[in-house]
Amino acid sequence: MADSIIELKNVSTVYEGERVPAIRDIDLTIESGEFVAIIGPNGAGKTTLLETINGLLPHTRGQVRVLGQDVARFGTQLRSQIGYVPQEFQFDETTPVLVRDVVLMGRYGRIGLFRRPTAEDYAQVQEALELLGLAELAERPLGKLSGGQQQKVLLARALAKEPKILLLDEPFSHLDCAAREEVAELITRWHRERSLTVLLVLHDLEAIPQSCHRVVLLNGGRIRHDGARERVVRAFTLAHRE
Amino acid sequence: MYGLPWSLIITLVSGAALTGAACGLLGTFVVRLRLSSLGFTMSHAAFAGAALGLALGIEPLTLALVGAILTAAVLGPIAERAKLPADVITGVLFPLTMALGLIFLYLAPGTAMSSSALGLLWGSLFAMTREDLFRLLGLAGTIALTVWLFFKEFQALLFDRKLAEESGVPTRPFYYLILFLTGMTIALALRLVGGLLVFVLLQSPAATAFQFFYDLKKIFFWAALFGVIYAGAGLGLSFAFDLPLGSAIVLISTLGFGLAVWRSPKRRRT
Ligand SMILES: Nc1ncnc2c1ncn2[C@@H]1O[C@H](COP(=O)(O)OP(=O)(O)O)[C@@H](O)[C@H]1O
Ligand SMILES: [Mg+2]
Repeated sequence: MADSIIELKNVSTVYEGERVPAIRDIDLTIESGEFVAIIGPNGAGKTTLLETINGLLPHTRGQVRVLGQDVARFGTQLRSQIGYVPQEFQFDETTPVLVRDVVLMGRYGRIGLFRRPTAEDYAQVQEALELLGLAELAERPLGKLSGGQQQKVLLARALAKEPKILLLDEPFSHLDCAAREEVAELITRWHRERSLTVLLVLHDLEAIPQSCHRVVLLNGGRIRHDGARERVVRAFTLAHRE
Repeated sequence: MYGLPWSLIITLVSGAALTGAACGLLGTFVVRLRLSSLGFTMSHAAFAGAALGLALGIEPLTLALVGAILTAAVLGPIAERAKLPADVITGVLFPLTMALGLIFLYLAPGTAMSSSALGLLWGSLFAMTREDLFRLLGLAGTIALTVWLFFKEFQALLFDRKLAEESGVPTRPFYYLILFLTGMTIALALRLVGGLLVFVLLQSPAATAFQFFYDLKKIFFWAALFGVIYAGAGLGLSFAFDLPLGSAIVLISTLGFGLAVWRSPKRRRT
């Protein structure tokens, strides 16, 4: 148990002003180095689950522990070690940042107060930009990129952080087929080479990468299935055929 | 400016420049975080506070500070969570602070129409003392130092609050730090540009800078510079045509911002 990198016990999260929890009674344990897909229909609570794990949303019941620490207390420090690519983003044309800054900003939490980015930080940023084929866009304003390019920038930002955990919320949604495969491959490689723990939210069964062995099926805010990929996929397909 | 002693001219020009620089820097936050209605309400609360000070015979600056900071403390949490639309805040509270200010002025014994009372509304150069100048210098220095020290955190906050939190940067303390500094600036600038128009300097210079740049370092720099230019040019205009300073600054600022929108590369399709 000491090894579990993410541990949710009986967790419910209620949005402010709402009465019905968006996720409820969640028990979920993830070991270090796992690659887990979270699937479920729209409104199942997938986004809510990810943001409960990194503490962007305060949970209303239960306990969330990440890297052995209580998210409710150490959320800010923990988030500097968790990469997160949100599902929804909107940057209008006037957003006052360049692509390179956005990626660098991913590291601000770990750089810490009163410190300036070092050569090492810039090197990580450059590497992440190159991995996602964004090197040429580095000096462009973020708001002038396409949705797919912006999504890649957010991915680069999450990777540049050198996170211990990567939370990806439908990271392929704005990408074309070719880019989808490249990014899936990149994530797989990082997972393997850096024993990175990855939680990948998808609404689409097809898109689950081969290297992902465990699937969690969410519906109506609850975990319906959690187990080996084949079993959960079968259960999901059966349920949808009825 | 003819016939004025040089020392006075230097005080006035430095006061205008410092106010412009301080407001320009802070305006970057006000514009990007959409705090303008909050700033607007704060500036009138400062005016009401100063008026109360005049009525009670207490140093107006102290109560102006209290008014501005109190408004920030009450409205900050509301604005922060976007619970109330900005125009509602302004629509309800602006008349209230204005009404209070005028009542206090009315109650102020013998000062209702005196120059110090009018100065609160329209700004009066000559009300500015050497102490004011030192206070302004301290304030502008504090703001510049704060921006420099916490540039990373402010950049993250100004980009996207949720993503700032995501990267492990706490945003709340910095949000309130900005509100607090804005309150201080408004209270101090009251005597120079007046309660009605402090707000303009918190808006136009930064809005102008946002028209031209995407790099936040440049935006800060140019916002401060435009602040100095607008305030300085306003001062010149005010002298040349014997206009109230606040109005002169508004004229210049509007002109500058209009030109910027017209010439902005951001609006040009590339
Ligand atoms: N900001 C919000 N305020 C209130 N309810 C929300 C909010 N965001 C999501 N919800 C509700 O929470 C439930 C789960 O949403 P979400 O986690 O976004 O689902 P998914 O990501 O699986 O599509 C939905 O019923 C949705 O209506
Ligand atoms: Mg979602």
